[in-house]
Amino acid sequence: MRADELLVLVAGGDQRAFEDLYTLVSGPVYGLVRRVVRDPAQSEEVAQEVLLEMWRSAARYDPGRGSALSWILTLAHRRAVDRVRSARAAGEREQREALRAGEPAFDQVAEEVEAGMEREWVRRCLRRLTDLQRQSVTLAYYDGYTYREVAERLALPLGTVKTRMRDGLTRLRECLGGAA
Amino acid sequence: MSILGRLLRREDPHSLAAPYALDALEPGERRRFAKHLQGCDRCAAEVRDLAEDAVRLAWSTAAPAPAALRERVLAAVRTTPQERSAPARERTPQLPPHVWGTQPPPGRTRTPRTRSLFVPFATATAAAALVVASLFAVQAHRTQDRLTAERSRAREIAHVLAAPDARATTSKDARGRGIGVIASASEREAVVTLSGYGTPPGGRVHQLWLVRPGAGPRSLGLLAGDTPLVAKGLATSSSSLAVTIEPGGGSAQPTSQPVVQLSLNSVGFGE
Repeated sequence: MRADELLVLVAGGDQRAFEDLYTLVSGPVYGLVRRVVRDPAQSEEVAQEVLLEMWRSAARYDPGRGSALSWILTLAHRRAVDRVRSARAAGEREQREALRAGEPAFDQVAEEVEAGMEREWVRRCLRRLTDLQRQSVTLAYYDGYTYREVAERLALPLGTVKTRMRDGLTRLRECLGGAA
Repeated sequence: MSILGRLLRREDPHSLAAPYALDALEPGERRRFAKHLQGCDRCAAEVRDLAEDAVRLAWSTAAPAPAALRERVLAAVRTTPQERSAPARERTPQLPPHVWGTQPPPGRTRTPRTRSLFVPFATATAAAALVVASLFAVQAHRTQDRLTAERSRAREIAHVLAAPDARATTSKDARGRGIGVIASASEREAVVTLSGYGTPPGGRVHQLWLVRPGAGPRSLGLLAGDTPLVAKGLATSSSSLAVTIEPGGGSAQPTSQPVVQLSLNSVGFGE
């Protein structure tokens, strides 16, 4: 059964459907959180919050607005970004992060994961963006920086970063169209 | 700062769509932009597209979750209550409150049976969500020449949903396959959705039957995938719905045991 159908059953309190849904989405959720948060223990904590929220708030899912997987990953990304920002605000990793600015660590978790078609497609498409488009998009999405922080790091005006983000996402869509 | 300077520094809210989709706004900005979205259809559509694009970035990050996480989450789920209602949102078809189980059905002169009083709220929500989900799936994937038929079905479904005594119920098996119904006894109509049963092999079909006391099952038509079926002219004495697998084109009377059956008691039918 697809995630969309399972999530609807989960909204009705079906725990078996939740187990099946967990099997489908835990890898994508954990991997995304790990990519953004980095620290394994904190990643596990955030992933747990997200997966429990998927149970608690299943009734909020609106099939008219997109797939269940998108809904869950959007939730996971928001939580991961919130976590990494509060960690940054606490000054934990400022130095380390500064060194990595601009070059997303594609291989961070790669050794743990079997190479998938989707992963290859996304990487290939990211490489087709201009440097500024790719950096604007990945610093925000994978590293959890706000667009103001991205602008500072890349020494670009705010307006330029917003445009690069939009153009980057749009080009990604065009490139990934055939892979969906 | 000069007035010109302030004007130049002021954000064009539309330009925040991409940072919003990437979760790259600060909390205050995020809230303001979310508010702006409610009144800006163009932005809302753009954000939806951009957010789908952003999610694709997550494709490249999947990693096996630690085994201990599964145990912890599944254990927590057994004791964690769920939110009971979906908050009202734009673009979501608004079901009348009684369909969601938050109000007793108005206009029923008969004393409601104990059974109907205890229809779990979550069950009603799930059934309504099943039907609405199928409806959206159908509309999103149909080509233009089939849209007219879909629209007319959507109107029929809306008619059932709008009935003052519309109620919902659902049933599902251990494998998560389900049948959902939203029915109105006063309109003698029901919207029925099958979910997870797929298409029977060998050109056979799922046929829906109305089961009535003292009379043979009456065919309500063939179910195509998870497309909702609108059934009309239901006798209020009807006791249940049943689905059987029949040869292509359907049968006059069921030729096999039901694969699923759903009592209509809790939605106001039956004696």
